Amino acid sequence: MSAAPEAEPPTDDPPAPGVEPLVRMTGIVKTYPGVRALDSVDLEVRPGEVMGLVGENGAGKSTLLKVLAGVVSPDEGEVLVEGRPVRMSGPRDAQRLGLAVIHQELTLAPHLSVAENILVAAEPTRFGMLDRREMERRTEAALSELGIQLDPWVEVERLSLARRQLVEVARALAAKARLIVMDEPTSALTEDEVDRLLAVVRRLRDSGVSIVYVSHRMREIFEVCDRITVLRDGRHTGLSRADDTDPDALVARMVGREITQLYGERSDQARDEVVLEVRNLSSGDRVRDVSLAVRAGEIVGLAGLVGSGRTETARAVFGADPHQGEILLRGRPVRFGHPKEALAEGVCYLSEDRKATGLFLEMSVRRNIAVTVPRTIAPKGWFRPRAERDVADRFRTSLRIACPSVDSLVGGLSGGNQQKVALAKWLATEPSVLLLDEPTRGVDVGAKAEIYRIIRELAAAGVAVLMISSELPEVIGMSDRIVVLSAGRTAGELTADEATEEAIVALATGIGTPATG
Amino acid sequence: MSTTTTPTADPDRTGSSGASTRRTDSPWLRPFRGRESGLLLVVLGILAFLAIRTDTFVTVDNLLVVARQAALVAIIAVGMTFVIATGGIDLSVGSVVALTSVATGFWVISADLPYIVAIPLSLATGLACGLLNGALIVLTKVPPFIITLGMLGIARGVALGLTSGSTQTGFAPPFLGIGQGSWLGLPVPVWVALVVAVVAHLVLTRTTIGRHVYFTGSNEPAAVLSGIRVQRVKMFVYVVAGSLAALSSLLETARLSVAQPSTGVGYELTAIGAVVIGGASLFGGRGTVLGAVLGAVLLSLITNGLIALQVSAYWQQAIQGAVIILAVALNEWRGRRAVAAGRAGDT
Repeated sequence: MSAAPEAEPPTDDPPAPGVEPLVRMTGIVKTYPGVRALDSVDLEVRPGEVMGLVGENGAGKSTLLKVLAGVVSPDEGEVLVEGRPVRMSGPRDAQRLGLAVIHQELTLAPHLSVAENILVAAEPTRFGMLDRREMERRTEAALSELGIQLDPWVEVERLSLARRQLVEVARALAAKARLIVMDEPTSALTEDEVDRLLAVVRRLRDSGVSIVYVSHRMREIFEVCDRITVLRDGRHTGLSRADDTDPDALVARMVGREITQLYGERSDQARDEVVLEVRNLSSGDRVRDVSLAVRAGEIVGLAGLVGSGRTETARAVFGADPHQGEILLRGRPVRFGHPKEALAEGVCYLSEDRKATGLFLEMSVRRNIAVTVPRTIAPKGWFRPRAERDVADRFRTSLRIACPSVDSLVGGLSGGNQQKVALAKWLATEPSVLLLDEPTRGVDVGAKAEIYRIIRELAAAGVAVLMISSELPEVIGMSDRIVVLSAGRTAGELTADEATEEAIVALATGIGTPATG
Repeated sequence: MSTTTTPTADPDRTGSSGASTRRTDSPWLRPFRGRESGLLLVVLGILAFLAIRTDTFVTVDNLLVVARQAALVAIIAVGMTFVIATGGIDLSVGSVVALTSVATGFWVISADLPYIVAIPLSLATGLACGLLNGALIVLTKVPPFIITLGMLGIARGVALGLTSGSTQTGFAPPFLGIGQGSWLGLPVPVWVALVVAVVAHLVLTRTTIGRHVYFTGSNEPAAVLSGIRVQRVKMFVYVVAGSLAALSSLLETARLSVAQPSTGVGYELTAIGAVVIGGASLFGGRGTVLGAVLGAVLLSLITNGLIALQVSAYWQQAIQGAVIILAVALNEWRGRRAVAAGRAGDT
């Protein structure tokens, strides 16, 4: 596609059927100091349809959703609910209109029960006391609409992330929501859980609830959406029926160019030297018996369901958690009691949740990048700002981190650039083993491609890479070899040629026979 | 995880990487940017107000009295800055002041040790309390609030128990000099506070351990995964807080020429107040020595100023409390405005 996609008019909009759209946003403009976050954006959702909303980070999706949730009021434009213009001055107004937004960061109270969370602010009472039986009834009603069963009195904290998400959906249903917005609901789910969530989405649609489904993942968008709206740079760049378009066309409209070869080329250099070897590793109650090996210059994918012990394996190898079993670096047994010891041996771990455990958000880019190299920036224990700046500038250039300067706060950067900073801090240590945990989570397509390129370059330079990912296309596209964990054990190993989504899922769920590795 | 940011927050769109705004001002002036300069203005404003309203306050003699007092508060506040920057808190410093005072009385008067031995022993008392705080926090993983609340009781109780509540006097002039004397026109405690502040500032901004204090407070799990020995950092900050409380106690004991187990009540709150007025966040990651010192000066000024204005002593605490709330609320407000201007619409 060589024509600039923005030149296209919104296409493929089928003629509206006789029904009034449930929600119609027209000509929404929102300007923040110095920038136009939304520039005359339209969004229309009909009753009982799933509208996909896609766009890179920074395209304006979340601002649009905030307008829909009543959190942000637009400078211009109208929001109509069932044909009537509405003015919302807060989330409560949106709630009253039956609009519910489920944010990526869930808003459940972890220490309260499922029932209390679902019926928050709408608790049934009898004589001023909570009516537990009624709470139970309503909770079960909301959950059964989703086709799931949960103990209403179990604390939310004890549920998996996937379950918690469903509790949020149930809460929206209990509040009589007619439109539910899901903002990247699957970014932390396993393939299996994704399928279940998509089933719930279809079920809701069939019962007449409208859904706005925001995701970076093309597979899900095409599996579940009826129509798809594309945003880029705060502008509406396309509306089409899912049946009339395809992922490549959609991505092209999102990024304004076509991304070819997302995962880059595998290099077929000879790899002999085993750099990292793990034998019979166990740690906590998640990792029971994991064995794997990574050679210099090799990218090994570590796949498995959420809870299969992938993150815990990486943390144990990195010395962040106590563990038993053997870890060998270039054949030499090592035992790290603290990440600092792992760093000293050239082993690095990029954590899966950059905000919670990766970055210092209210600190500058240079602080974040240079935190791992105190020796370099403070040679004799005496800190040299110039040295810190040099380190940071080097990576800002080489990783193309887009920030006004290395003094910018990391918290203000886009997801992709934050992830590059998180990566840069490890690259600054010149690692020989890189443990990457969901390296592209919550990152847009353009940044993904860049991160893949960086990983390829590192491998080409001889770094041994172990990459954990829940996105099967990513694991398959990037890995030279894939180790699959199941319930804390190495379930099997697949070569790049053998790797298919089915083969990985079969091993991960324990129904497949281990392939020879 | 990352929700979509608006184009402002997404520098991909603003593009030009050459437009980096390098700060070129001197590192010595840098601390005065932002919050601290505002605080300095407030301090000067209060001085101007008192100069107009009273004849007695803004005189060299009186200001030296205030400075001597502020120095004692400032030294404790500097130690508290270290703790608060890690996201911790030390409620025990007031009791450590009392215990150290009692210990000083014992070693200087009762045991009659030479100063070269007695004074380090006094400081070691506070250091030991800090070490115990740090060790308990690291080992038990009980929140610092609880551990140091316990230490508040223990140190005070030991001080009262050992002395049966009695005070001790009879310090000799050379010792009294460190609290009451002056050098080059400034009270000795002010010199000590200045040295402490400069050293502490350099430690926090220029040494590896000092910088690790901020990383620990900013995001502890990330700090651990970045190879920072967070437990050592925590031990370090409580030792600093305990030692500086002991130093302040030593100066105070000499200033009042009495060792008393009942001194230091509520000092922890004054110190915490000074630190948060200075712009530190109780959630950690933020806080400067200069801010804490200015906060201490501000609180001392207010106390003394109210006396000069002949406001009843009973009302002084209420006004101090109101000032703390006001200062921190103002900081919050300014911080939020800065965020709103800096990254509009970002979640």
